[in-house]
Amino acid sequence: MTDLVRFDHATLGYGRRAVLSGLSFSLVEGDFLGMVGPNGAGKTTILRAILRTLDPQAGTVSHAPNIRFGYVPQRDQVDYNFPLTVVDVVLMGRYNRIGLGRRPTDRDRDLACKALDHVGILELADQPLSSLSGGQKQRTLIARALVGEPNVLVLDEPTSGMDLVSTTQILGLVRELHERDNLTVLMVSHALNEVANYVQRIALVMNGGFRIGPVDEIMTQSVLSDMYGIPVEVDSFNGHRIVVARRDGIVDADV
Amino acid sequence: MESWTPMFDAVLLFREALYGALVIGLACSVLGVYVVLRRIVFVGAALAELSSAGIALALWLEGQSLMLGLATHPIALALILTIAGVLFFGAGGGRGRIPPDATIGVTYAVAGAAGILLISKAAVGEAHDIFLAGSILGITREDTLILLAVAVPVLILHVVFYKEFLFVSFDRETARTLGYNINVWNLLLYFTLGLVIAFAMQSAGVMLVFNFLVLPAVTGLLVSRTMGGVFLWSIVSALVAGLIGFTLSVRFDLPTSPAIIAVSGVLVLLAFLVRLAQRR
Repeated sequence: MTDLVRFDHATLGYGRRAVLSGLSFSLVEGDFLGMVGPNGAGKTTILRAILRTLDPQAGTVSHAPNIRFGYVPQRDQVDYNFPLTVVDVVLMGRYNRIGLGRRPTDRDRDLACKALDHVGILELADQPLSSLSGGQKQRTLIARALVGEPNVLVLDEPTSGMDLVSTTQILGLVRELHERDNLTVLMVSHALNEVANYVQRIALVMNGGFRIGPVDEIMTQSVLSDMYGIPVEVDSFNGHRIVVARRDGIVDADV
Repeated sequence: MESWTPMFDAVLLFREALYGALVIGLACSVLGVYVVLRRIVFVGAALAELSSAGIALALWLEGQSLMLGLATHPIALALILTIAGVLFFGAGGGRGRIPPDATIGVTYAVAGAAGILLISKAAVGEAHDIFLAGSILGITREDTLILLAVAVPVLILHVVFYKEFLFVSFDRETARTLGYNINVWNLLLYFTLGLVIAFAMQSAGVMLVFNFLVLPAVTGLLVSRTMGGVFLWSIVSALVAGLIGFTLSVRFDLPTSPAIIAVSGVLVLLAFLVRLAQRR
């Protein structure tokens, strides 16, 4: 397995403030990694280092020379007041390939339509972005990430604020892209129960700590209790892993 | 027909001022689309006040016999203060403990007050309301040519780099991951905005510049659902408001800037009604 991104004793932070230190792990080719942790734990900081928009304060973060990221931001990071159609937004994924001051060509539009077809919303190509449902907006952003022909798909909280049906559909689509297109996938989320049933490896970022490993290794009572700092139980239901936090005998499934 | 002839004669008499107003309307209506969509409407207002404070400072210095050649020319000082504002707001100024809109408010209030205080003590100072209403009828051919010399390169820049300005305005994080230097593009956008405001302020005043930055873009956003359509309607409504407002002000002896703004307001209202009709 080739390392696409490698952290070697990296310290990450902003200004003089270190958010996480001593990070050593790799995102390998063909990986399907879920990065889980509460808001403010440092997930976005690691994400920025992976996407090369944040340099480490110490240590190194190295990238494979042929790496191309397809980035799917959090949905609320995008401004839906802009009067843009779905295909306009998808075309943005090719802007860096089109070049400064140049206009998208027919080929770019064809590729944008193919990407929309790939995520199952080609019929929405000419619809205003603002008129779409949450799941359709997310598919649009995934199509935009795919149109740049990436080898790593990075999704930041792709199911945040979605209902059960949309969440299941989006996670199913991401898994399909990983399996069908052999895409390396990094998915950032605060919802362990959602991520754990789709990814191959999990990275936990919480309480200043960082732990990464295969799902079976991470999804244990001892590891999760240690990382969350509260007693946690891991159960299975119809083949799905469920993590519950136990507080004074009360089971809380909100982990 | 005869009753229209004196009106056209009067408009022709002030045609240089009309051309100037239309150039300002054209440039501001294009930049205004970004101003409105990026929710930086009051950055535009604050930059306009900084520009007016620069003009006032130059006039005050002149009154104190402290003119230092070109460096203290009204346009030079207006540019210096506006560009300082551009650098501050463009680099994300005020993102610390004080909310950004409060920083904009402080700039707006202080620059506005400083401008009025300075002009009140300037020996060569004209009426205080020059800062609000401007003196658009005083625009000369030379002024219009200067405005064109600023507006045309700015508009060409915005046509050429349309997709770059659009991307960094719409989704800066994704643009950053694709290698765009967000700070550079933001500064460039703010710089073009500051440049147009500084030059437009000389003759149009805060009120009219602010109007051209906001109302035509709002009209465009109400009428059209595509970026191209929004720009087109923004430009058309600015030019129509400029032409009709100017003509009405001459015909009925009204102050020019408020007349143009009133027509802009009517166009926004009409656009709103069109939007309501489209929804039904």
